[in-house]
Amino acid sequence: MNARANKNHLTSIEPAYYEAVTEAIRKEAVKILKEETVVGVVGYLPGRRKGTATPALVTSVEEAEKLIFSPACVNNLSVYLTKAKKGVLKQGKVGIVAKGCDMRALAGLMTESQLQREDLFIIGVVCPGVYGFGVERTGTLTEANIARKCRECTVHMPEGADVAAGTHAELADLTPEEAEEMARIEAMPQAERWAFWKEHFSRCIRCMACRQVCPFCYCEQCLCDKNRPQAVESSPRPAGNMAWHLVRAMHLAGRCGGCAECERVCPMDIPLNLLNRRMAKELKELYDFEAGLAPVEKGPLNQYKEDDDQSFIK
Amino acid sequence: MQIITEQNLRNLIDLLVKEAKLVVGPKLSGSVVLYEPLTAGTELTLDALPRRSSKELFFPVCEDILSYKREGGAMKVTDVDRSKFPETVLIGAPPCDAGSPSILDAVMSWDYKDEFYLERRRKSTIVGIACTKGDDACFCRAVGLSPDAENGSDLFLTPLKDGSYACNAVTEKGQALVAAHKNLFAEGAGAEPVPFVDQAVQKLDLVKIKKWLEEHFEDPLWERIADICVGCGACAFICPACHCFDINDEGSTDDGVRRKHWDACGFAKFTNHASGHNPRDVQNKRYRNRIMHKFKYYDDKFGKTLCTGCGRCIRACPVGIDIAEILETINAKQD
Repeated sequence: MNARANKNHLTSIEPAYYEAVTEAIRKEAVKILKEETVVGVVGYLPGRRKGTATPALVTSVEEAEKLIFSPACVNNLSVYLTKAKKGVLKQGKVGIVAKGCDMRALAGLMTESQLQREDLFIIGVVCPGVYGFGVERTGTLTEANIARKCRECTVHMPEGADVAAGTHAELADLTPEEAEEMARIEAMPQAERWAFWKEHFSRCIRCMACRQVCPFCYCEQCLCDKNRPQAVESSPRPAGNMAWHLVRAMHLAGRCGGCAECERVCPMDIPLNLLNRRMAKELKELYDFEAGLAPVEKGPLNQYKEDDDQSFIK
Repeated sequence: MQIITEQNLRNLIDLLVKEAKLVVGPKLSGSVVLYEPLTAGTELTLDALPRRSSKELFFPVCEDILSYKREGGAMKVTDVDRSKFPETVLIGAPPCDAGSPSILDAVMSWDYKDEFYLERRRKSTIVGIACTKGDDACFCRAVGLSPDAENGSDLFLTPLKDGSYACNAVTEKGQALVAAHKNLFAEGAGAEPVPFVDQAVQKLDLVKIKKWLEEHFEDPLWERIADICVGCGACAFICPACHCFDINDEGSTDDGVRRKHWDACGFAKFTNHASGHNPRDVQNKRYRNRIMHKFKYYDDKFGKTLCTGCGRCIRACPVGIDIAEILETINAKQD
């Protein structure tokens, strides 16, 4: 029997699954708040519009009983534990609802000494996937409305959480659209690839949503905001846009956990996760390293080894 | 009533392009619809609200305002020749976009006249279109507009069930546009108009909301929102009414360009002074400014609400902050 045959061949994840996860999250959140294990829990509350959700920092049992998990719970909540959101729940141990992809960010932040494991209570979600952008929000997850990143998810199970909400469920036979797009772009002649990105970056309005949602963009002074002297053109023009996106991709190499939040929030639909994936591929090939699988002492770009691959020096 | 068929509307675009006018309308650009220059009538896309508002026609994402170059001992400064701004026709803007200049004209021609904005406004004609789409983020009715509001439009089109459009020339510019292309318009009774979509948000009492804002400069609400706001500029940048900008000199000290580009109150460096002091040093003060500016300050100064209810910020907010929900919350408050 192969591995696939062991999985349920599901074509849809019904609302009942998300409701069961919701119940488990509420139960755990209420418990850790009541027992004062944590001072608050970062989770999701329903939005005003049908089929939407919004991040929330809950500190009371009453609020914790309203927490939800649904395919609309797209956010990577680990951003709320970073320096960029300093001041939020800094009073003590914090509970956080985390999908597998969010767990990778938490592991990365621990690697970078931004978080301590003992300061967190992680309510892991066994996540079958979340909605893509602009899809029908019916409450049921299908091949038609699942996010692109979730089609190739390898972290449905939240490894290393304190508790896990949900049982194993995932959609079967999803086409890896992003991998196919990667292959298509990599096969392009260089000039065509350049034109592809130039066209995408030309739409960038420098709203910085990609930076602001990224758990790893926690620098207190972003190079791209500097104007005395200016390092990167801060006005939204072709040269500055290109520079910003290259800086972003390079700075995340070996750190990005692949949550693809940058791409999700881009109001101009720039496929930023393709750049993240390309960087991740380089790291895998050069250093046999995958970011965020588990906290490590140092990432490969933060250390020097004599036997490091140096073939890139030309 | 004057009627224009869809084909003739597209023909009108072709003719205007031939007349060397800049014709801008909703157009598919990659995977998103944006207001872009149309080269032919066939490019006009009317089935989706463009991702960015049409404000950029008058207030671009980024524009040069002067250039400078050191020549010998002197610095030569060259202004932008605004007389070269083209005659422009904006076609296909729904009321939540077409209505934005009628709000922004006030601030742009106030104590300081923004000649870049005003020159573009003088040279533009706006062909608005009644909105028959809409989704659960729309709330134009709640802020005093409506899917058939003619505010800001020079010529206003109403989609009819047979695919044609009823036309109302609201201003002299609109009348001139029709008069110059008479053969594309026909007199007729017209078919039934296409019905509008219901909106989830009911009419808001903007006077009451403003009063609450006046009395709640300090309120836990601001902190609650700021707790989840990540401080990006998406809401402001795609908003038809937000008009804050920053000015940057780019290039070298000897040769460069002074540029004006969009700024957003969500950014941590918004209002950061050169001294390092920032009067809005934390996110809740910045988010408060967003609501205060739209529903109090602008009304105090110009008697208008700085929001058209297009819902773009609701759709785009990375963390689902919903301005309509915030307004409903304030509207329902008793204190």
